[in-house]
Amino acid sequence: MSEEQGPKKTRSFKLPPQLVNTGLVPLLAVLTSMVVGGLIIAAAGGNPFAAYAGLFEGAFGSLNALSETTVWASPYIFAGLAVAVGFKGGLFNIGAEGQLAFGAVAAAWIGYALPGMLGADIPAVLHVILAVGGGMLAGGIWAAIPGFLKAYTGGHEVINTIMMNYIALNLTSFLLNGPMKDPNPMNVVARTPLIVESAHLPPVFPEFRFHWGFILAIGMAVLVWWLLWKTTLGFEIRTTGANLDAARYAGVNVKRTIIVTMLFSGILAGMAGAIEVTALNYRHELGFAVGYGFDAIAIALLGKNHPAGVVLASLLFAAMRNGATRMQFLTQIPVDVISVIQALILLFVAADTVVRYIYRIRSRDERFSLTRGWGK
Amino acid sequence: MNKRRFYFIAAIIILLYLIVILIGSAQISPLVLLVSLLATTISVATPLTLGALSGVFCERAGVVNIGIEGMMLTSAFFGWFGAVFLNTIWSVPPLASLLFGVLVAIIIGGLLGLLHAWLSVSLKVDQVIGGTVINILAIGITGFLNRQLFFEKNSIFGGQIPHAPGVLPRISIPFLVDIPVVGKVFEQQPIAVAAIVLVIVANFVLFRTRWGLRTRAVGEHPRAADTIGINVYKMRYWNVIIGGMLAGLAGAYFTIESVPSFEPLMTNGRGFISLAAMIFGNWTPFGAWAAALVFGAAQAFQINLQQFRAVIPPEWAFLQYSYVVGMVPYILTMVILTGVIGKTVAPAADGTPYEK
Amino acid sequence: MSKKLSLLLAVVLLASMALTACQPAASGDTKPDCSKAETFCVGLVTDVGKIDDKSFNQSTWEGVKQAEKDLGAVVQYIETTDSKDYDKNISTFAEAKYDVIVTVGFALGEATIAAAQKYPEVKFIGVDQFQGETIANLAGLNFPEDHAGFLVGALAAQMTKTGKLGAVLGTDAVPPVWRFGEGYRAGALYIKPDVEINVVYHNDVGFDKTFSDPEWGKTTAISMIDKGVDIVFGAGGKTGNGALLGAAEKGVYAIGVDTDQYFTVPEAQKVLLSSAMKLLTPGTFDLIKLAKDGKFPGGNYMGKAGYAPFHDVDSQVPAEVKAKMEEIAKALADGTLQTNVPPTKPQ
Repeated sequence: MSEEQGPKKTRSFKLPPQLVNTGLVPLLAVLTSMVVGGLIIAAAGGNPFAAYAGLFEGAFGSLNALSETTVWASPYIFAGLAVAVGFKGGLFNIGAEGQLAFGAVAAAWIGYALPGMLGADIPAVLHVILAVGGGMLAGGIWAAIPGFLKAYTGGHEVINTIMMNYIALNLTSFLLNGPMKDPNPMNVVARTPLIVESAHLPPVFPEFRFHWGFILAIGMAVLVWWLLWKTTLGFEIRTTGANLDAARYAGVNVKRTIIVTMLFSGILAGMAGAIEVTALNYRHELGFAVGYGFDAIAIALLGKNHPAGVVLASLLFAAMRNGATRMQFLTQIPVDVISVIQALILLFVAADTVVRYIYRIRSRDERFSLTRGWGK
Repeated sequence: MNKRRFYFIAAIIILLYLIVILIGSAQISPLVLLVSLLATTISVATPLTLGALSGVFCERAGVVNIGIEGMMLTSAFFGWFGAVFLNTIWSVPPLASLLFGVLVAIIIGGLLGLLHAWLSVSLKVDQVIGGTVINILAIGITGFLNRQLFFEKNSIFGGQIPHAPGVLPRISIPFLVDIPVVGKVFEQQPIAVAAIVLVIVANFVLFRTRWGLRTRAVGEHPRAADTIGINVYKMRYWNVIIGGMLAGLAGAYFTIESVPSFEPLMTNGRGFISLAAMIFGNWTPFGAWAAALVFGAAQAFQINLQQFRAVIPPEWAFLQYSYVVGMVPYILTMVILTGVIGKTVAPAADGTPYEK
Repeated sequence: MSKKLSLLLAVVLLASMALTACQPAASGDTKPDCSKAETFCVGLVTDVGKIDDKSFNQSTWEGVKQAEKDLGAVVQYIETTDSKDYDKNISTFAEAKYDVIVTVGFALGEATIAAAQKYPEVKFIGVDQFQGETIANLAGLNFPEDHAGFLVGALAAQMTKTGKLGAVLGTDAVPPVWRFGEGYRAGALYIKPDVEINVVYHNDVGFDKTFSDPEWGKTTAISMIDKGVDIVFGAGGKTGNGALLGAAEKGVYAIGVDTDQYFTVPEAQKVLLSSAMKLLTPGTFDLIKLAKDGKFPGGNYMGKAGYAPFHDVDSQVPAEVKAKMEEIAKALADGTLQTNVPPTKPQ
């Protein structure tokens, strides 16, 4: 901390402090992580340059690679926005994974079972809206429960969303192994039947998997930005997140805001699941959605909880995940190295003091804190 | 732990046991069944107890530790690696290798505790985020190293699964072990015994010593503690390191006491359950232990019901679905958090970085 | 202070560059060209799981590695991290002109069929993928797990003294596991209709974790043994291995799965009665060899299943039990004995 008074440091150029915080520091965090990751690859007997070249080629090397990167990015953007909205409202939604799974289950059910129940075909556009909307609602409700408990009983959302993750896991396992299991005699795994054609969200170009869900994700990012910074509700969410007492004095209905924030966060996470079902897999299968919750936290933090940042961070994570298999194919470096690099990114972003220290960037005294104990 | 919570916990355990015994008595004598239930409960509860104690130390000092899972996983890996390395490469006898492995696990846990303390006390990073960093890092590092050290052809073990030095032997508690039938419960492995001893020690340390008083002071009211000359940072650092070491011991349970191998992700979320047990037990060592026993009993319940699937009465058929029963502990934790069953009170300064 | 650190960082950076500068010559860059007729290339795509899972991904990979050794094949694997990558990972090999592509697990079935149609010149081997229609360049490698389960079930029923058998299994959502378990039950009941069978699945955790929880497997096995079970069948990756270890600790017979686990779980050697074997490694190798020899069979290819030798406990198995086992194995093989286990769990 004494560093802040560091004497006689003259810097040759100065960036606006806002840009340093939201742009330069995360960028340096990524860079540092890549360097450390490169060292790990070298220590394991690999060639980091070949590895990163493979990673880049796999992520951006062709039109198809680009398309696949957007396919990876779509759920990351939704889930990252979900966590970011929570953070803005002072809530740590660690349960995006459960909400995502629930959104996917609901969308799949509407996608395959609803026409049969109504006894009629549903027009394509309406069916997609119903399926995605149903997924959003399911995710939203799943997140609103811990929001409600936080608002009215003080039960901390971190522990409650973790518990809700386990409950969601058991519930979806039950549904996918039981009532919702694909009855096709050829099928042996826990998954739903395929959704009907009318519930498909189509790809943008028929020859690539790049789908409208990605464009929707960008749209949601804009919407989240508008909602958080241009509406009264957004103001209330941000005020509650910044200072609970101040929000109360300012006349914000804090309890309602907490529930709405979680609801909104869950809607975004549920949408991630619903889009995966309607635009990509056309069904929900057990085992999908593992790890998205933690990735989403890393993405929200790397994106500094700003929608634009979340989109960029999602693209970065998507490129890494998508390029990883190409990297493995070319260099036989295990894909786990990507997890290590991503964890390091998170470490350096969360503890940006470390990055500022290494690169001698003055720190603005701005602290980001959420945890205020588990109780009330 | 308040009385109400204690009765609630006892009631749950007894209820779970009674259902199993009622259903199972068609096939097996109740006493044998009870012993089996107790044995399962204790072994499931061991890592949870240690993990929850880790949480108690950290949070009593005011530092939220959500990274218990990652600490356990990393320690499990390095502990196992240490034991195997000593045993196969340097031909150290199995028992000595295993004990060394336990030591390595504790040290690795302590180092991760140090990292967490540095992040949350010195750098004042949000503590939940610090813990999340540790969790994600643990998955990547153990997965990567497991591959490099045990699978790749040019690794020190030549790509072969090394012959493990086995697991820690059981020790019998004198006299008690001689009781017919029930005596079997008193034959346990060292870490299981250590967990129970540590509960008692932790309770003594936290509530009967100056160290404990200071720990609680920095967790409840760091400003006041600082004023009367307690070094808040130092207390927090040490307690988080102790917490890390306890999580490390929990990690050793997986690879050195339970099964002689490491598998990626093998802690399987038990660190998070430990956290729930800590809250369930209201941040007290005995409470955490009791809560760990509830989770253990729930696991025993579920395993046993599956074994008695054939004799479950039709009107209780839903109990056959392990998923349904699997949800119970998590729902219970959420119920506990609402404060319906006795107030759950976290240390006042829990999760708040202290600024001088 | 900070100056020192940045200096350190610079040194580290330089060192890493120096380190890597001398490497390219050794690795990479010398990739064999699979498009040449004389280079025979085999690629493997894993299920969402690791190549070192000590379970089916690894056993299949060992079959591929045997092709490297015996057939001089160029081999390579890609680990799938998410089901959305199935197509991409398969096409990575196909576009690099690999001759044979092995995909592991039922979940890749549809992606493999699609790829087989898209790349007719490439031979595909789908492990645990039953083919409804025959595609000439796609062989589904399947195993009669119920036979193997039946055999060890019959063995267990003959060897039990308490009349109580246990099985600790992964998840019944995975059909091979379910077939092992149901075969075990059927075999035991075939010998002794009044035998008591405890079957426990690890269904209460995520799909990715159900096979990697040895601690749970051991606890569960011990819980059964405490109640009088004297033979435990452990089937389900490392969860099942945990059950074998539990049996070893309690000194009761254990039965392994997939491979002869006498060699994969050495700690259980002294109690390992047998293993219900599903010979993935030879099955994979055989198909690769057939592909190389130009005799690749499209459609379904039935691999071998059976029971492993008794090894250390051989002297404890009476001669009449051994004779009976051979008789059952023969009857199962020629179809005079049916296990009556359906291919998948009925709803």
